[in-house]
Amino acid sequence: METLDIALPRMALLYGLCLLPWLLLRLIGLRLSRDIGISILRMSIQLALVGIYLKMLFDFNHPWLNGLWILVMLLVADLSILRRAGLKARYFVLATFMAIASSILFSTAYLVILVIQPTHFYDARYIVPLAGMILGNCLQGNVIALERFYSALRKNENEYATFLMLGATRWEAVLPYFREAVKAAINPTIAGMATMGLVSLPGMMTGQILGGSEPWLAVKYQIAIMICIFTSTAIACIINLKLSLNIAFNEFDVLRDEVIDKP
Amino acid sequence: MPPIIRFDHVSVIAHEKTILSDISFTLLPGEKAVLSGKSGSGKSSVLRTLLGLHPIKSGTVYFQEQPLTPSSVQAVRSCTAYIGQEPMLGAESVRDALLLPFQFKTHRDHKPTEAQLIDVLQRLHLPADILRQESSRISGGEKQRIALARGLLLGKKLYLLDEVTSALDAESKQAVFDVFSDPQLTVLSVAHDPEWLERCGIVFELEAGRLTQVKRNGNT
Repeated sequence: METLDIALPRMALLYGLCLLPWLLLRLIGLRLSRDIGISILRMSIQLALVGIYLKMLFDFNHPWLNGLWILVMLLVADLSILRRAGLKARYFVLATFMAIASSILFSTAYLVILVIQPTHFYDARYIVPLAGMILGNCLQGNVIALERFYSALRKNENEYATFLMLGATRWEAVLPYFREAVKAAINPTIAGMATMGLVSLPGMMTGQILGGSEPWLAVKYQIAIMICIFTSTAIACIINLKLSLNIAFNEFDVLRDEVIDKP
Repeated sequence: MPPIIRFDHVSVIAHEKTILSDISFTLLPGEKAVLSGKSGSGKSSVLRTLLGLHPIKSGTVYFQEQPLTPSSVQAVRSCTAYIGQEPMLGAESVRDALLLPFQFKTHRDHKPTEAQLIDVLQRLHLPADILRQESSRISGGEKQRIALARGLLLGKKLYLLDEVTSALDAESKQAVFDVFSDPQLTVLSVAHDPEWLERCGIVFELEAGRLTQVKRNGNT
Protein backbone atom coordinates (compact mmCIF):
# COMPACT_ATOMS: atom_id res chain seq x y z
CA MET A 1 0.00 0.00 0.00
CA GLU A 2 1.56 3.30 -1.17
CA THR A 3 1.08 6.63 0.62
CA LEU A 4 -0.41 9.25 -1.69
CA ASP A 5 1.99 12.08 -2.40
CA ILE A 6 0.90 15.70 -1.83
CA ALA A 7 1.92 17.71 -4.87
CA LEU A 8 3.27 21.26 -4.35
CA PRO A 9 0.11 23.10 -5.61
CA ARG A 10 -1.91 21.10 -3.10
CA MET A 11 0.62 21.94 -0.37
CA ALA A 12 -0.07 25.61 -1.18
CA LEU A 13 -3.74 24.84 -0.72
CA LEU A 14 -2.88 23.44 2.72
CA TYR A 15 -1.21 26.68 3.81
CA GLY A 16 -4.40 28.45 2.71
CA LEU A 17 -6.23 26.65 5.52
CA CYS A 18 -4.41 28.89 8.01
CA LEU A 19 -6.22 31.93 6.61
CA LEU A 20 -9.39 30.87 8.43
CA PRO A 21 -7.95 30.90 12.01
CA TRP A 22 -5.93 34.02 11.11
CA LEU A 23 -9.17 35.80 10.13
CA LEU A 24 -11.00 34.59 13.26
CA LEU A 25 -8.13 35.68 15.50
CA ARG A 26 -8.19 39.14 13.90
CA LEU A 27 -11.94 39.34 14.46
CA ILE A 28 -11.50 38.81 18.21
CA GLY A 29 -8.74 41.41 18.27
CA LEU A 30 -5.73 39.10 18.51
CA ARG A 31 -2.99 40.44 16.24
CA LEU A 32 -0.81 37.37 15.94
CA SER A 33 -0.16 37.48 12.16
CA ARG A 34 3.57 38.00 12.63
CA ASP A 35 3.98 35.19 15.18
CA ILE A 36 1.86 32.78 13.17
CA GLY A 37 3.67 33.66 9.94
CA ILE A 38 7.12 33.21 11.51
CA SER A 39 6.13 29.92 13.18
CA ILE A 40 4.73 28.43 9.97
CA LEU A 41 7.76 29.59 7.99
CA ARG A 42 10.19 28.19 10.59
CA MET A 43 8.34 24.90 10.76
CA SER A 44 8.40 24.58 6.96
CA ILE A 45 12.10 25.43 6.60
CA GLN A 46 13.19 23.30 9.58
CA LEU A 47 11.21 20.27 8.40
CA ALA A 48 12.44 20.72 4.81
CA LEU A 49 16.01 20.71 6.10
CA VAL A 50 15.29 17.67 8.29
CA GLY A 51 13.81 15.99 5.21
CA ILE A 52 17.01 16.63 3.27
CA TYR A 53 19.17 15.41 6.17
CA LEU A 54 17.05 12.32 6.76
CA LYS A 55 17.14 11.43 3.06
CA MET A 56 20.93 11.73 3.18
CA LEU A 57 21.14 9.70 6.40
CA PHE A 58 18.94 6.95 4.99
CA ASP A 59 20.92 6.84 1.73
CA PHE A 60 24.31 6.59 3.47
CA ASN A 61 23.08 4.61 6.49
CA HIS A 62 26.51 4.77 8.10
CA PRO A 63 26.81 4.10 11.87
CA TRP A 64 29.08 7.12 12.54
CA LEU A 65 26.88 9.50 10.56
CA ASN A 66 23.78 8.24 12.36
CA GLY A 67 25.58 8.58 15.69
CA LEU A 68 26.63 12.13 14.81
CA TRP A 69 23.04 13.05 14.01
CA ILE A 70 21.86 11.72 17.39
CA LEU A 71 24.68 13.65 19.09
CA VAL A 72 23.54 16.87 17.41
CA MET A 73 19.95 16.20 18.51
CA LEU A 74 21.13 15.63 22.09
CA LEU A 75 23.16 18.86 22.15
CA VAL A 76 20.28 20.94 20.79
CA ALA A 77 17.90 19.31 23.32
CA ASP A 78 20.39 19.92 26.14
CA LEU A 79 20.60 23.67 25.50
CA SER A 80 16.87 23.92 24.88
CA ILE A 81 16.06 22.20 28.21
CA LEU A 82 18.28 24.60 30.19
CA ARG A 83 17.04 27.72 28.41
CA ARG A 84 13.40 26.79 28.97
CA ALA A 85 13.99 25.72 32.57
CA GLY A 86 15.59 29.11 33.36
CA LEU A 87 19.00 27.69 34.30
CA LYS A 88 22.36 28.93 33.08
CA ALA A 89 23.75 26.58 30.45
CA ARG A 90 27.38 27.16 31.39
CA TYR A 91 26.80 25.47 34.76
CA PHE A 92 24.48 22.62 33.83
CA VAL A 93 25.28 21.79 30.20
CA LEU A 94 27.35 18.70 31.03
CA ALA A 95 25.00 17.34 33.73
CA THR A 96 21.93 17.64 31.52
CA PHE A 97 23.79 16.17 28.57
CA MET A 98 24.88 13.16 30.63
CA ALA A 99 21.34 12.64 31.93
CA ILE A 100 19.55 12.78 28.59
CA ALA A 101 22.30 11.00 26.63
CA SER A 102 22.45 8.05 29.02
CA SER A 103 18.68 7.61 29.21
CA ILE A 104 18.05 8.10 25.46
CA LEU A 105 20.90 5.83 24.38
CA PHE A 106 19.84 3.17 26.87
CA SER A 107 16.14 3.13 25.94
CA THR A 108 16.75 3.43 22.17
CA ALA A 109 19.38 0.68 22.26
CA TYR A 110 17.05 -1.52 24.34
CA LEU A 111 14.19 -0.97 21.88
CA VAL A 112 16.22 -1.39 18.68
CA ILE A 113 18.67 -4.13 19.69
CA LEU A 114 16.51 -6.27 21.98
CA VAL A 115 12.95 -5.64 20.78
CA ILE A 116 12.89 -4.64 17.08
CA GLN A 117 16.13 -6.43 16.11
CA PRO A 118 16.80 -4.98 12.62
CA THR A 119 19.63 -6.50 10.52
CA HIS A 120 21.91 -3.60 11.50
CA PHE A 121 21.34 -2.03 14.94
CA TYR A 122 22.43 1.34 13.57
CA ASP A 123 19.84 1.34 10.79
CA ALA A 124 18.93 5.02 10.35
CA ARG A 125 15.32 4.14 9.47
CA TYR A 126 14.88 2.88 13.05
CA ILE A 127 17.29 4.63 15.36
CA VAL A 128 16.96 8.19 14.02
CA PRO A 129 13.15 8.57 14.21
CA LEU A 130 12.85 6.49 17.40
CA ALA A 131 15.61 8.36 19.25
CA GLY A 132 14.14 11.64 18.00
CA MET A 133 10.66 10.83 19.30
CA ILE A 134 11.92 9.61 22.65
CA LEU A 135 14.18 12.66 22.98
CA GLY A 136 11.40 15.11 22.07
CA ASN A 137 9.22 13.82 24.90
CA CYS A 138 12.14 13.46 27.29
CA LEU A 139 12.98 17.12 26.63
CA GLN A 140 9.54 18.27 27.82
CA GLY A 141 9.85 16.16 30.95
CA ASN A 142 13.27 17.52 31.82
CA VAL A 143 12.15 21.12 31.34
CA ILE A 144 9.25 20.52 33.75
CA ALA A 145 11.44 18.68 36.28
CA LEU A 146 14.20 21.30 36.44
CA GLU A 147 11.86 24.29 36.31
CA ARG A 148 9.52 22.92 39.01
CA PHE A 149 12.35 21.83 41.27
CA TYR A 150 14.30 25.09 41.25
CA SER A 151 11.21 27.33 41.42
CA ALA A 152 9.91 25.30 44.37
CA LEU A 153 13.25 25.65 46.14
CA ARG A 154 13.33 29.40 45.62
CA LYS A 155 9.69 29.78 46.63
CA ASN A 156 10.13 27.62 49.76
CA GLU A 157 13.58 28.89 50.72
CA ASN A 158 12.60 29.20 54.40
CA GLU A 159 11.07 25.75 54.54
CA TYR A 160 14.19 24.24 52.94
CA ALA A 161 16.37 26.09 55.46
CA THR A 162 14.12 24.82 58.28
CA PHE A 163 14.69 21.22 57.15
CA LEU A 164 18.45 21.84 57.22
CA MET A 165 18.17 23.35 60.70
CA LEU A 166 16.28 20.29 61.88
CA GLY A 167 19.21 18.10 60.97
CA ALA A 168 18.32 17.14 57.40
CA THR A 169 21.14 16.54 54.97
CA ARG A 170 20.94 18.44 51.68
CA TRP A 171 19.42 15.37 50.05
CA GLU A 172 16.83 14.91 52.81
CA ALA A 173 15.93 18.63 52.68
CA VAL A 174 15.38 18.73 48.91
CA LEU A 175 13.61 15.37 48.69
CA PRO A 176 10.00 16.72 48.96
CA TYR A 177 10.64 19.15 46.05
CA PHE A 178 12.58 16.49 44.13
CA ARG A 179 9.66 14.05 44.34
CA GLU A 180 7.13 16.71 43.28
CA ALA A 181 9.28 17.76 40.31
CA VAL A 182 9.73 14.19 39.05
CA LYS A 183 6.00 13.54 39.51
CA ALA A 184 5.10 16.68 37.51
CA ALA A 185 7.54 15.63 34.77
CA ILE A 186 6.25 12.10 34.27
CA ASN A 187 2.55 12.79 34.92
CA PRO A 188 1.79 13.92 31.33
CA THR A 189 3.28 10.66 29.98
CA ILE A 190 1.36 8.55 32.51
CA ALA A 191 -1.88 10.41 31.70
CA GLY A 192 -1.11 10.13 27.98
CA MET A 193 -0.70 6.35 28.25
CA ALA A 194 -3.94 6.02 30.23
CA THR A 195 -6.03 7.80 27.60
CA MET A 196 -4.12 6.73 24.49
CA GLY A 197 -6.43 5.62 21.71
CA LEU A 198 -9.53 6.88 23.55
CA VAL A 199 -9.01 10.62 23.32
CA SER A 200 -6.86 10.73 20.20
CA LEU A 201 -4.91 8.50 17.88
CA PRO A 202 -1.21 8.91 18.63
CA GLY A 203 0.92 10.68 16.03
CA MET A 204 3.35 7.89 15.31
CA MET A 205 0.60 5.31 14.91
CA THR A 206 -1.31 7.62 12.57
CA GLY A 207 1.89 8.18 10.59
CA GLN A 208 2.56 4.49 10.27
CA ILE A 209 -1.01 3.75 9.18
CA LEU A 210 -0.81 6.55 6.59
CA GLY A 211 2.56 5.14 5.56
CA GLY A 212 0.91 1.84 4.72
CA SER A 213 1.52 -0.27 7.86
CA GLU A 214 -1.04 -2.68 9.20
CA PRO A 215 -2.92 -1.13 12.18
CA TRP A 216 -1.81 -4.03 14.46
CA LEU A 217 1.86 -3.38 13.63
CA ALA A 218 1.37 0.35 14.20
CA VAL A 219 -0.19 -0.41 17.60
CA LYS A 220 2.82 -2.52 18.64
CA TYR A 221 5.25 0.23 17.66
CA GLN A 222 3.16 2.81 19.49
CA ILE A 223 3.20 0.74 22.68
CA ALA A 224 6.96 0.27 22.32
CA ILE A 225 7.61 3.98 21.86
CA MET A 226 5.37 4.98 24.78
CA ILE A 227 7.13 2.59 27.14
CA CYS A 228 10.50 3.93 26.01
CA ILE A 229 9.35 7.55 26.39
CA PHE A 230 8.14 6.85 29.92
CA THR A 231 11.32 4.97 30.85
CA SER A 232 13.74 7.50 29.43
CA THR A 233 11.84 10.51 30.82
CA ALA A 234 11.79 9.07 34.34
CA ILE A 235 15.46 8.04 34.22
CA ALA A 236 16.66 11.29 32.64
CA CYS A 237 14.73 13.51 35.08
CA ILE A 238 16.03 11.67 38.14
CA ILE A 239 19.65 11.65 36.88
CA ASN A 240 19.43 15.27 35.73
CA LEU A 241 18.04 16.58 39.03
CA LYS A 242 20.48 14.49 41.05
CA LEU A 243 23.50 15.69 39.05
CA SER A 244 22.29 19.30 39.17
CA LEU A 245 22.32 19.22 43.00
CA ASN A 246 26.12 19.12 42.98
CA ILE A 247 26.23 22.27 40.86
CA ALA A 248 23.33 24.38 42.10
CA PHE A 249 24.27 24.48 45.80
CA ASN A 250 27.28 25.90 47.55
CA GLU A 251 29.30 23.94 50.12
CA PHE A 252 26.92 25.13 52.86
CA ASP A 253 23.90 23.65 51.01
CA VAL A 254 22.59 27.08 49.99
CA LEU A 255 21.18 27.51 46.48
CA ARG A 256 23.62 29.58 44.40
CA ASP A 257 21.90 32.64 42.92
CA GLU A 258 24.28 32.80 39.99
CA VAL A 259 23.15 29.47 38.47
CA ILE A 260 19.60 30.71 37.93
CA ASP A 261 18.95 32.63 34.74
CA LYS A 262 16.78 35.46 36.00
CA PRO A 263 14.21 36.82 33.54
CA MET B 1 34.95 28.38 79.74
CA PRO B 2 35.40 28.52 75.92
CA PRO B 3 32.76 30.50 74.03
CA ILE B 4 29.99 28.64 72.22
CA ILE B 5 29.86 31.33 69.50
CA ARG B 6 32.64 33.63 68.36
CA PHE B 7 32.46 36.06 65.46
CA ASP B 8 35.94 37.26 64.52
CA HIS B 9 35.90 40.30 62.19
CA VAL B 10 33.12 38.83 60.08
CA SER B 11 31.92 40.61 56.93
CA VAL B 12 29.13 39.29 54.75
CA ILE B 13 27.99 40.35 51.29
CA ALA B 14 24.65 39.17 49.94
CA HIS B 15 23.13 40.18 46.59
CA GLU B 16 26.13 42.50 46.01
CA LYS B 17 25.38 44.45 49.22
CA THR B 18 27.37 44.47 52.46
CA ILE B 19 25.00 43.21 55.12
CA LEU B 20 27.52 42.65 57.95
CA SER B 21 30.71 44.60 58.34
CA ASP B 22 33.62 43.59 60.58
CA ILE B 23 31.48 42.02 63.33
CA SER B 24 33.27 40.60 66.38
CA PHE B 25 31.66 39.23 69.54
CA THR B 26 31.62 36.16 71.76
CA LEU B 27 28.89 34.31 73.59
CA LEU B 28 29.55 31.85 76.40
CA PRO B 29 27.48 28.71 77.05
CA GLY B 30 24.33 29.53 79.01
CA GLU B 31 24.40 33.25 78.16
CA LYS B 32 21.30 34.98 76.85
CA ALA B 33 21.95 37.73 74.32
CA VAL B 34 19.82 39.91 72.14
CA LEU B 35 20.68 41.66 68.89
CA SER B 36 19.05 45.04 68.80
CA GLY B 37 18.81 47.69 66.11
CA LYS B 38 16.65 49.19 63.40
CA SER B 39 15.08 47.12 60.66
CA GLY B 40 17.75 46.23 58.07
CA SER B 41 20.63 46.69 60.51
CA GLY B 42 21.72 43.06 60.03
CA LYS B 43 20.28 41.39 63.16
CA SER B 44 18.74 38.38 61.38
CA SER B 45 21.79 38.17 59.12
CA VAL B 46 23.97 37.44 62.16
CA LEU B 47 21.77 34.43 62.96
CA ARG B 48 21.73 33.25 59.34
CA THR B 49 25.51 33.67 59.00
CA LEU B 50 26.07 31.46 62.02
CA LEU B 51 23.97 28.78 60.33
CA GLY B 52 26.01 28.97 57.13
CA LEU B 53 23.15 30.49 55.13
CA HIS B 54 25.17 33.55 54.07
CA PRO B 55 28.63 33.17 52.50
CA ILE B 56 31.29 34.90 54.63
CA LYS B 57 33.44 37.40 52.71
CA SER B 58 36.09 37.85 55.40
CA GLY B 59 36.67 36.88 59.02
CA THR B 60 35.73 33.62 60.74
CA VAL B 61 32.75 32.35 62.65
CA TYR B 62 33.58 29.84 65.40
CA PHE B 63 31.15 27.41 66.96
CA GLN B 64 32.51 25.77 70.11
CA GLU B 65 35.88 27.12 68.96
CA GLN B 66 35.71 25.21 65.67
CA PRO B 67 35.65 27.39 62.53
CA LEU B 68 32.45 27.25 60.51
CA THR B 69 33.31 25.25 57.38
CA PRO B 70 31.32 23.12 54.92
CA SER B 71 32.29 20.05 56.93
CA SER B 72 31.34 21.53 60.32
CA VAL B 73 28.12 23.28 59.32
CA GLN B 74 25.99 20.14 59.74
CA ALA B 75 27.20 19.82 63.36
CA VAL B 76 26.39 23.50 64.04
CA ARG B 77 22.90 23.08 62.61
CA SER B 78 22.24 19.91 64.55
CA CYS B 79 23.11 21.65 67.86
CA THR B 80 21.10 24.77 67.06
CA ALA B 81 17.38 25.58 66.96
CA TYR B 82 16.41 28.52 64.77
CA ILE B 83 12.94 29.92 65.35
CA GLY B 84 11.75 32.75 63.14
CA GLN B 85 8.84 35.16 63.35
CA GLU B 86 6.72 32.91 61.14
CA PRO B 87 8.29 29.50 61.67
CA MET B 88 7.83 26.93 58.93
CA LEU B 89 6.46 23.79 60.50
CA GLY B 90 6.92 21.77 57.30
CA ALA B 91 4.11 19.28 57.94
CA GLU B 92 0.32 19.20 57.73
CA SER B 93 -0.50 18.36 61.34
CA VAL B 94 1.10 19.66 64.52
CA ARG B 95 2.05 16.11 65.56
CA ASP B 96 3.80 15.53 62.21
CA ALA B 97 5.55 18.89 62.55
CA LEU B 98 6.91 17.90 65.97
CA LEU B 99 8.04 14.52 64.67
CA LEU B 100 9.43 15.87 61.36
CA PRO B 101 13.11 16.01 62.41
CA PHE B 102 12.94 12.42 63.59
CA GLN B 103 12.45 11.31 59.96
CA PHE B 104 15.97 12.46 59.22
CA LYS B 105 18.81 10.00 59.56
CA THR B 106 20.61 11.97 62.26
CA HIS B 107 17.63 11.89 64.70
CA ARG B 108 15.89 8.69 63.54
CA ASP B 109 16.82 6.68 66.62
CA HIS B 110 15.67 9.32 69.11
CA LYS B 111 11.96 9.53 68.34
CA PRO B 112 10.12 10.99 71.39
CA THR B 113 7.39 9.10 73.23
CA GLU B 114 3.82 10.43 73.50
CA ALA B 115 4.51 11.37 77.14
CA GLN B 116 7.57 13.42 76.10
CA LEU B 117 5.49 15.23 73.45
CA ILE B 118 2.80 16.15 75.98
CA ASP B 119 5.36 17.17 78.58
CA VAL B 120 7.12 19.59 76.24
CA LEU B 121 3.77 21.08 75.16
CA GLN B 122 2.79 21.62 78.80
CA ARG B 123 6.09 23.39 79.50
CA LEU B 124 5.15 25.88 76.80
CA HIS B 125 1.52 26.22 77.98
CA LEU B 126 0.12 24.41 74.96
CA PRO B 127 -2.81 21.96 75.27
CA ALA B 128 -2.22 18.30 74.36
CA ASP B 129 -5.06 18.32 71.81
CA ILE B 130 -3.09 20.77 69.64
CA LEU B 131 -1.28 17.66 68.36
CA ARG B 132 -4.36 16.81 66.29
CA GLN B 133 -4.70 20.27 64.74
CA GLU B 134 -3.61 21.29 61.27
CA SER B 135 -0.43 23.37 61.24
CA SER B 136 -2.04 25.94 58.94
CA ARG B 137 -4.89 26.57 61.43
CA ILE B 138 -2.88 27.44 64.52
CA SER B 139 -1.90 31.02 65.41
CA GLY B 140 1.52 32.60 64.84
CA GLY B 141 2.30 32.45 68.56
CA GLU B 142 1.37 28.75 68.72
CA LYS B 143 3.56 28.07 65.68
CA GLN B 144 6.50 29.71 67.42
CA ARG B 145 5.98 27.61 70.53
CA ILE B 146 5.63 24.41 68.46
CA ALA B 147 8.93 25.26 66.74
CA LEU B 148 10.42 25.84 70.18
CA ALA B 149 9.00 22.54 71.43
CA ARG B 150 10.65 20.84 68.48
CA GLY B 151 14.01 22.31 69.50
CA LEU B 152 13.51 21.12 73.08
CA LEU B 153 12.58 17.61 71.90
CA LEU B 154 15.81 17.54 69.90
CA GLY B 155 17.73 18.49 73.05
CA LYS B 156 19.24 21.56 71.36
CA LYS B 157 21.50 23.70 73.50
CA LEU B 158 21.71 26.83 71.36
CA TYR B 159 18.58 28.77 70.39
CA LEU B 160 18.55 31.43 67.69
CA LEU B 161 15.30 33.31 68.15
CA ASP B 162 14.05 35.87 65.67
CA GLU B 163 11.30 37.98 67.31
CA VAL B 164 9.75 34.98 69.06
CA THR B 165 7.83 36.90 71.66
CA SER B 166 6.20 39.29 69.19
CA ALA B 167 3.06 37.15 68.78
CA LEU B 168 2.78 35.87 72.35
CA ASP B 169 0.37 36.87 75.12
CA ALA B 170 1.71 37.56 78.62
CA GLU B 171 1.15 34.00 79.88
CA SER B 172 2.82 32.33 76.85
CA LYS B 173 5.68 34.80 77.04
CA GLN B 174 6.24 33.84 80.66
CA ALA B 175 6.32 30.16 79.64
CA VAL B 176 9.05 30.95 77.09
CA PHE B 177 11.01 32.95 79.69
CA ASP B 178 10.73 30.01 82.09
CA VAL B 179 12.07 27.58 79.48
CA PHE B 180 15.07 29.80 78.80
CA SER B 181 15.83 30.35 82.47
CA ASP B 182 17.61 26.98 82.19
CA PRO B 183 21.32 27.86 82.59
CA GLN B 184 22.28 25.10 80.14
CA LEU B 185 20.51 26.80 77.23
CA THR B 186 22.27 29.53 75.27
CA VAL B 187 20.17 32.12 73.45
CA LEU B 188 21.07 34.55 70.69
CA SER B 189 17.96 36.45 69.78
CA VAL B 190 16.59 39.30 67.73
CA ALA B 191 13.99 41.33 69.60
CA HIS B 192 12.39 44.71 70.08
CA ASP B 193 10.30 43.64 73.07
CA PRO B 194 11.52 45.70 76.12
CA GLU B 195 10.68 42.85 78.51
CA TRP B 196 12.83 40.43 76.52
CA LEU B 197 15.67 42.99 76.26
CA GLU B 198 15.55 43.42 80.01
CA ARG B 199 15.78 39.69 80.68
CA CYS B 200 18.74 39.10 78.35
CA GLY B 201 22.13 39.57 80.00
CA ILE B 202 23.80 40.94 76.88
CA VAL B 203 22.58 43.40 74.27
CA PHE B 204 24.43 43.77 70.96
CA GLU B 205 23.51 47.03 69.23
CA LEU B 206 23.73 46.91 65.44
CA GLU B 207 23.59 49.77 62.97
CA ALA B 208 23.88 49.35 59.19
CA GLY B 209 25.59 45.97 59.55
CA ARG B 210 28.09 47.17 62.17
CA LEU B 211 28.23 46.28 65.85
CA THR B 212 28.16 49.66 67.56
CA GLN B 213 27.69 48.81 71.23
CA VAL B 214 27.74 45.83 73.61
CA LYS B 215 25.88 46.09 76.91
CA ARG B 216 26.45 43.42 79.55
CA ASN B 217 24.06 43.33 82.50
CA GLY B 218 23.28 46.98 82.04
CA ASN B 219 26.96 47.96 81.63
CA THR B 220 28.25 49.31 78.30
